[in-house]
Amino acid sequence: MRLALGRVAKKTLINLVLLLTGISGLNAQVKYTVSGYVRDAASGETLIGANVINTGNAAQGATTNTYGFYSLTLEAGTYRLVYSYLGYKDKYLDLTLTSNYTQNITLDEGVVIEEVVISAERDKQKLNVEGTQMGTVELPVENIKKLPAIFGEVDVLKTIQLLPGVLSSGEGNAGFYVRGGGPDQNLVLLDEAVVYNAGHMLGFFSVFNSDAIKNTILIKGNMPANYGGRLSSVLDIQMKEGNNKHFEVEGGIGLVSSRLTVQGPIVKDKSSFIISGRRTYVVDLVQPALKGTNFEGTNYYFYDLNTKWNYTFSDRNRLYFSGYFGNDVFKFRQPGRDFAFDLPYGNKTATLRWNHLFNDKMFMNVSAVYNDYRFRFNGGQDDFVFKLHSGIRDWNLKIDFENYPGNRNVLKYGVNYTFHTLTPNTASATNGEVNFATNFKEKYANEIGLYFTDEFKATKDLSVNAGIRLSGFQQVGPYTSKLTGQEFGTFESVKFYSGIEPRLSINLRLASDLSFKSGMAITTQYLHLVSNSSSTLPADIWVPSTEVVKPQRGIQYAAGIFKNWNNDEIETSFEVYYKDLRNQIDYADNYVNDISKEVEDEFVFGKGKAYGAEFFVKKSRGRLNGWIGYTLSRTLRSFSDIEGGRWYPAVYDRPHDLSVVANYKISKKWDLGAIFIYGTGKLYTPVRGFFFVDQNLNLFYGPRNSARLDPYHRLDLSATYTPKPYSKKKYSGSWTFSLYNTYNRKNPFFVNFDTETDFQTGSTTIKGSKITIFPIIPSITYNFKWNQK
Amino acid sequence: MIIKQCCFVLILGLTLLMSGCEEPFVPETEVSAQEIVVEGYIEAGPGANPTYVIISKSIPFISTVNADKFAELFIKGASVSVNDGNKDVQLSELCLSNLPDNIKAEVYRTLGFEPDSSAIDICIYVDILDQLKREVGRTYKLTVMAEGKQLSALTTIPPYVGLFDFKWSEPPGEPSDSLAELNVKISDPAGVTNYYRYLTGSAGGPLIPPFTSVTDDAIFDGKEFEFPLQRAERRDGDFDPESFGLFTRGDSIIIKWTCIDKSHFDFWNTRDFSANSGGPFSSYTRIASNIKGGLGVWGGYSVDTYRMRVPPK
Repeated sequence: MRLALGRVAKKTLINLVLLLTGISGLNAQVKYTVSGYVRDAASGETLIGANVINTGNAAQGATTNTYGFYSLTLEAGTYRLVYSYLGYKDKYLDLTLTSNYTQNITLDEGVVIEEVVISAERDKQKLNVEGTQMGTVELPVENIKKLPAIFGEVDVLKTIQLLPGVLSSGEGNAGFYVRGGGPDQNLVLLDEAVVYNAGHMLGFFSVFNSDAIKNTILIKGNMPANYGGRLSSVLDIQMKEGNNKHFEVEGGIGLVSSRLTVQGPIVKDKSSFIISGRRTYVVDLVQPALKGTNFEGTNYYFYDLNTKWNYTFSDRNRLYFSGYFGNDVFKFRQPGRDFAFDLPYGNKTATLRWNHLFNDKMFMNVSAVYNDYRFRFNGGQDDFVFKLHSGIRDWNLKIDFENYPGNRNVLKYGVNYTFHTLTPNTASATNGEVNFATNFKEKYANEIGLYFTDEFKATKDLSVNAGIRLSGFQQVGPYTSKLTGQEFGTFESVKFYSGIEPRLSINLRLASDLSFKSGMAITTQYLHLVSNSSSTLPADIWVPSTEVVKPQRGIQYAAGIFKNWNNDEIETSFEVYYKDLRNQIDYADNYVNDISKEVEDEFVFGKGKAYGAEFFVKKSRGRLNGWIGYTLSRTLRSFSDIEGGRWYPAVYDRPHDLSVVANYKISKKWDLGAIFIYGTGKLYTPVRGFFFVDQNLNLFYGPRNSARLDPYHRLDLSATYTPKPYSKKKYSGSWTFSLYNTYNRKNPFFVNFDTETDFQTGSTTIKGSKITIFPIIPSITYNFKWNQK
Repeated sequence: MIIKQCCFVLILGLTLLMSGCEEPFVPETEVSAQEIVVEGYIEAGPGANPTYVIISKSIPFISTVNADKFAELFIKGASVSVNDGNKDVQLSELCLSNLPDNIKAEVYRTLGFEPDSSAIDICIYVDILDQLKREVGRTYKLTVMAEGKQLSALTTIPPYVGLFDFKWSEPPGEPSDSLAELNVKISDPAGVTNYYRYLTGSAGGPLIPPFTSVTDDAIFDGKEFEFPLQRAERRDGDFDPESFGLFTRGDSIIIKWTCIDKSHFDFWNTRDFSANSGGPFSSYTRIASNIKGGLGVWGGYSVDTYRMRVPPK
C-alpha cells in the first residue's frame, strides 16, 4: 500500500514537473530550433523585443531578448516566419526545418510602406493582451523625443512619470515614486549598472541623455525574479550600441544644454562605438554679469558622457563595454568674505559584458559591473576648511542564462554577486592647526541573488511566469559593533540576512483580444536611502542593512483586465494592486540633520501599505496617437515612533493622478505634441500655531502630512518642424518648439511659514507664502544629424 | 545642515533664473485648543540668574500679534512649584508692571528682552527668596497648574566645563578696522557626552543666543578644541553677512557659556534647526519639548559668564 502511494506521488510529481516546464514526454515529434539576432538594417543595432512569429500559427512565436537574440523551436516542417518590430518593415522568411538553423535578420525602418509598419505595431500591441508580465511598459526613445519637454530637454524619467502608477517627486523633478513605494525602492539600471542617483541639478534633470539611449523598460509591479534588491520597480535602460555600418553624428542645441553624439563602425559589421556627451551652460552665460560682484566665480553646470563599444567575434560570442560618467559641479564664491565652497557629485559606471551562445537554445551573458556614486563638499573661510564626502561603490559580477527548451518555455536562471562599499557622511575640518574629523568608517557588504524563472504556456489560454529569487546580504568587517563593541576583521561576517522571494504572473486568455492577468511578488531590499527632504537630495546617503537596520521587505498583489479594440488599434487596461511593506525607514518628527551623527542611528522603523487602481488607454497608430492614464490610489505609513503608530498618508500619497499624452502628425513636416497632467495636491505637515519661548515665536505642527497644497495641473505643448523630411542628403535637421505650463498655472512648489517683527509697533506678523518655480516656459531646440551613408 | 543650506543657495539661484514667484499663502487652519507653554530655567554657577518660569498660551495661526494680544498670552494666577530633591518650593508670581522702572529694566534684560520693550506687561514665576538649592548634579521637578491643566517636567544641572584662551583675530576676507573674530578653547571631558549652549550680549543689552546655540561633543569628545565663537544676533533682525558672527572692536561684551542635559539640549537643538530650516527641501521639525502636557522647555544650566572688551586694532 505504501509502495502504491509512493508511486502515485511520484507520478503526480513527474506530471507537475512536466506541466511546469511544459515538456511533454508524449510528444515524440522531432523538433528543431531557428535562432539568431534581429538588427536594424541601417545601423546594425540589435532590436530588443522584436517578434518572430509563425504565420501559420500565431501562438508559435518568440521575442528577442535584451541583446536582440531569439530562439524558436518548432516541429520539423515548412514554415513562413514573420519578423516584426515597432516602426520597422516586416520581413518574411520561408524555411523548411530539417535541422537546427541560425538566421540573423535585419529590419528596415518603415517610413515608406506604412501598412507593413502598422502590422508590426499591431503585434507589439497584442502583447498587451498576450504577455504574462503586468505593469510593464516599454518606451522606445524615439517616442519619448516627440513629447514636449521643459527647456526642450527630453527626459526619459519625466516621460515615465506620465504612466499610471508612477508619480513625479515634485515640480519639474526627475525623481519618481511607483505604486506607493519610496524613491529608494526603484532599481534604476543603465546597461545593467545600478545608478544610485539618477538626478542632475537636484533632480530637475535625469542623468540619462536621450541621444545615448536605445530602450527603456519600466516594471512597476510583479518584477520577474531576475531582478532584485528593490521593493517597488525596475527601470531598465539600455544604451545604444553604435552604428556598425556608417559614421553618424547627431546632436542638439538648446537653451540650457547642448548634446553631441558620434557613432560608427570600428570594423564594419563587426565592431562599433558610440560616444555621447551633454553639458549645460546656462550659468556660464551669466558669468560676465557676476564679474566684480561679491559672487564672482560662482558657477553651476553638469555634464554627462556615455560611451559604448562592442565587438562581434562570431555569431556565438560578442563583447560589449559601456560606461557612463557624469558630474554636477557647483562652485560658490564670495571673495569679499573669503568664503568659497565646491559641491561636486556624480555617478560613474562601467559594464563589461560577454554574450555567448552555447547552442541555438542556450544563451549566456556574463557581466562585470563597476559603479560609483560620490558626493563631496569642500569649503571654507580663511583658515577654516571643511570637507565632507559620502558615496557608494559596487563591484558586481553576474551570470545569466536564457534557455529555450521548446516553443512553450523560456527558462532564465543566474547568479548575481555584488560587493558594496558604503561611505557614510565623513566630515573633517581644519582651523589653523586644529583638526577634527568624524570617525565613521566605511561599511562593507556582500550581496548575492540566485534566481530561476520559467515562462511557459500551461494550456492554450493560460500562460505562466513563475520564478523564485533567493537573496542574501552579509555585512562584513572591518567593523566595530555598536551594540556589543565587538571588533570584526576584514571580510568577517557581522550580520547576515536572507530572503526567499517567489514571483508569479499568470495570463488567462478570455478571448483573442481580452485577457485577465494576475501576479504576486515578494521582494527584499538591503540598501536604503532615506530623505528628510521633500525630494531626494544628492547629499542623501545610501546605507546598508546592518545589525541596526533590517532589510525592507514587501509583497505586492496585482490583477488586471487587458483588452484591445478595433483590430488592436486601441489597447486598454485596468489594473488593481495592493502592497504590504515591512521594515520601512524614516526619520522621527524631531530629527535634526547633523553630520556628526550616523544616519542609521537616527532612523525609526515602521510599516506601510499602498493600494490603487490604474486605468490606461493607448492608441499607437494613426496620425493621432498617445495615451490617457489615470490612477486612484492611497499610500499609508505607520511608525511606532511617529505619533504613536497612527496610520498617516506618506508624502507621496496622491489619490488622483491623471496624464493625457497626445501626438498629432499634421503633415510630413509638422508634428504636434501635448501633455496634460492633473494630480491631487501634495501633502505637507501644517503649522498648528506658534509659541513664545526665547523671545521668539516658534512653530508647532499638526499631525504629519495632514494638509494638502492646491491640486497640480499643467498643459505642455510642442511642435516639431522638419524642413526636409524626405531629404536624401547626409545632413538633416529639425526644430522643436516647446511651451511648458502653457496656461501659466501657479503650481505650488512648497510653502513656507515665517514671522516678521516690527519693533516700532511691537507687532509680529506670521506669514505663510507659496512659492511657484516654473511659470510658462517657452523653449526652442535645434536637433541635427549627419550620416556618412 | 550646511549641505542643505548650500543646496538651498543653489535652488534659490535657479529659482531666480527661472523667474519663479512667491505669493501669500493662507492655509486651512485647524481649530484647536491652545496649548500651555512653559519656559523656565534653573541655573547654578557664577552669574546664574534666579530660577524663573514663564507660563503662556500658544498662538493659533493668525496674521498679526500686537502688544495687546501679546500680553494676553501670558498666564496669570498659575500654580508653579519646583522640587529640588529635598523640598517643594512654590514660585511667586511677579508681574513686571508692578516693579520700579530700574528693576523692571534689569528683569527685562535677564529675560532677554530689549530694555525698551518694557511696555509689554508680563507676569513670571520666580523663586524670589532663592529657596531652591541650585547645584551641579541635582535634578529638579517642575509642576505647573494652569487653566485647569497640570504640566510637569524634569531637568538636571550637569557639571560645568569652561572656556579658556580667548583670542581675538582679524576677520576672514577683506580687512576690517572695526570687526574682530573671537576664538576660544574648551577641554572636553572624555567618556561622557557633554552638551553646551551659549549666549552673547554687549554691555547693557540682553543676552541672546546665536542661530545655532547648542552643540554636543560628538566631534571633540575628550579633546582640547579651538573654535570660533560667534556673536549672536536676533533672528528677526536685519541680517548683515559682512558682520555676521563678528564682534565690534571697542565694545564691552558678555559671553554666557552653559552646560545642559540631554533633554534640554534636544529642545534647543530642534528649535534652532526648525528655525534655521525652510525652503523646498525642508521637511518639518517638531521641537522636542521636555514638558509633559504642554510645550516649551524646563532647562537646567550650569553657567559661567565672561565679560571682556574687544580690543581695538
